[in-house]
Amino acid sequence: MRLSPLSIAYGAGSTAARLGWLLVIATFGSTQMPGAGPRLGAAVVVGVLALAGLYQFARWQRFEYRLTDDTLDIESGVFSRRTREIPLRRVQNVDTSRNALQRALGIAAVTVETAGGSDVEAELRYVTEAESERLRTEVGRLKRERTREETGDGATDEGAAADQPAEEELFAMSPRELALLGVVSVDLRLLSLFSALVPIIAPSLARSAADPLFSLAVAAPLLATGLALVAVVASAVSSVTNFYGFRLTRAGDELRYERGLLNRFTGTVPLSKVQSVVLSENVLARRLGYASLTVETAGYAPGDSGAESAVPLARRERVVDLAREVEPFGEVAFERPPARARMRYVIRYAFVGLLLTSVAYGIHRFSPFSFAWYLLAGLVVLAPLGAHLKWRNLGVAVLEDHVVLRGGFWSRETTVVPYYRVQTVVETQSVFQRRRDLATVVVDTAGSRGLTGGDPRALDIEADRATALRETVADRLQESLRTRRATRRRARDLLADTAD
Amino acid sequence: MSDGDGLTDDAAPGAEDRDASEPPASDGTDGTSGGNGTDDVWEGDGGDGTATDDGTDRPLDPDAVDVRELTGPERTLEPPVRLVWVLRAALVALVLGTVVGAVSIVLQGPAWLGPAVFTALFVLGATHAHLRYRSWSYHVQADSLFLDRGVLTRVRTVVPYVRIQHVDVSRGPVERGFGLATVVVYTAGSRGADVTIPGLTPGRADELQERLKRLAIAAEGEDAV
Repeated sequence: MRLSPLSIAYGAGSTAARLGWLLVIATFGSTQMPGAGPRLGAAVVVGVLALAGLYQFARWQRFEYRLTDDTLDIESGVFSRRTREIPLRRVQNVDTSRNALQRALGIAAVTVETAGGSDVEAELRYVTEAESERLRTEVGRLKRERTREETGDGATDEGAAADQPAEEELFAMSPRELALLGVVSVDLRLLSLFSALVPIIAPSLARSAADPLFSLAVAAPLLATGLALVAVVASAVSSVTNFYGFRLTRAGDELRYERGLLNRFTGTVPLSKVQSVVLSENVLARRLGYASLTVETAGYAPGDSGAESAVPLARRERVVDLAREVEPFGEVAFERPPARARMRYVIRYAFVGLLLTSVAYGIHRFSPFSFAWYLLAGLVVLAPLGAHLKWRNLGVAVLEDHVVLRGGFWSRETTVVPYYRVQTVVETQSVFQRRRDLATVVVDTAGSRGLTGGDPRALDIEADRATALRETVADRLQESLRTRRATRRRARDLLADTAD
Repeated sequence: MSDGDGLTDDAAPGAEDRDASEPPASDGTDGTSGGNGTDDVWEGDGGDGTATDDGTDRPLDPDAVDVRELTGPERTLEPPVRLVWVLRAALVALVLGTVVGAVSIVLQGPAWLGPAVFTALFVLGATHAHLRYRSWSYHVQADSLFLDRGVLTRVRTVVPYVRIQHVDVSRGPVERGFGLATVVVYTAGSRGADVTIPGLTPGRADELQERLKRLAIAAEGEDAV
């Protein structure tokens, strides 16, 4: 199969747009040159467009893909050829994206991800919309077939029904939720930082306003505040356009989502590949009783934020129900770290506060800027409160098939990890933790979030408890592997019996 | 060097008569405690062995792997690894000492500052290297590899064999100079590359690599993710 011929035009157009500034310089430069005239400029523009078109044509001609019964084969490359076979069983996600222009042209980019590598494994830019839909359903269907053959479950006569499982809507975002998302998604850390800075800077502003020499000192903080406000508005706008018209459906063992106002994204997440489920609530959302849900698979490269978002924002109870639909976990009763862990945070925060205060004093004393440095000492007073909030939001729960880890005050994240998906278990104990007989357990999965920071972990739990937790998680992993193996064997035996 | 080689060659099943003799013959160098560890591990997980018995047609049949034979007691690193670490600490100390010394001389400070910084850092680094060596141990258990290490922050890692993607043996120039090698175990986890075992003799490293390979096959991970 070939890509859509329209991708030649689109590719050439976007290359030209990217080189636009160069063309402008060339055209402008040629008019300045004696004897060249605007004709040379036009020639350069036409030449670049022709070259880009030629390259895009060659790319299109040399790009071929084929969907066989168990692989997706791609041959590509203008100068160096590459042949790639992707076993469908290994496919983690199939996503499509269409920006406004692509939608007008009726084309879409399709990406196929497997767990290996940090890059996208296959990128089809661009196919027609009908073809992108076909690819998505076909990959899903063939994958189901392969899996069924392998595990031997599911009788063959009901295969026809299983081929096109009914799509059932799990969640559709209401305009109210979308508006709320815009408000809630604003990073509160930014706001609190600036509201804390303003009273400290204000005295310096008032004093130096009279002095024209200090106009820069006045302008800089104002500018910074303005920039922060712009950033806040931008983040709200971007989350609204990103999740406009969000819809999540379930078809058999796959989750499908679609979202986006200008850029329209659709994608599938196979439930059998889900590594962990994360419930996040920031301070504001928590106050209002809302939460969001992300489903992690091994496919996505780090930084693909939002791509695996299952529910951008909904009532907390609703989100928990949906999370249970994806990973059926039981009642969660968190245990908190011992109170002496809180003492650690008090000391840590107070220390940071003192450090900042002394730095501020230093600036006040030894530089021409003078401001209310002593207000920073308020941070030291706030240390116990901060420590308590951090401590209160920590938690770990050991369930039958899952371990649930919770942490974070500003943005609280509750991660549900099935034992079956655990990759490694790491128990760490720093010098300071040893003094208080505490330790941390990190439960690592193949999910992508770990790379961007925020590993699921049980922070500062009792040292003995940490050792026990590490052993429990490792043991339960082995147990779940044994159960899976036994189920598979039974299914295969059953198949062999019916064959006889 | 040759101590591990004998082991890697035999993958024959039903090696009942051999489980009394400790599989890693190389243990002798460290004088670790006999075979108790192996027996405990094996008895505790007898069920696991039978569970894997359901073989599939893989190039290397999981049935052919005797888990009992591949597990071993807790092991430590080779003593020369301390020298590698001390050398590294010395290098850092030298660079920082030179910088501080140069700055001190340029600013007409005391001339002894550079050497003092060097000595202090070197002593610290050497102590750390020694303590680090003492803290390091790894244990090839029945269903996972267990690492225990760290001076300031103590880190204990469990790597289940099912999750192993591949195992590397690497030898840097300094390590080669001291006749040492490093084993790196990769998993699909986000901390995958964290699992390294430094300071092994090349023979021990190769043997460990082979052993982990067999154990990973025996664990029969249908989908390492």
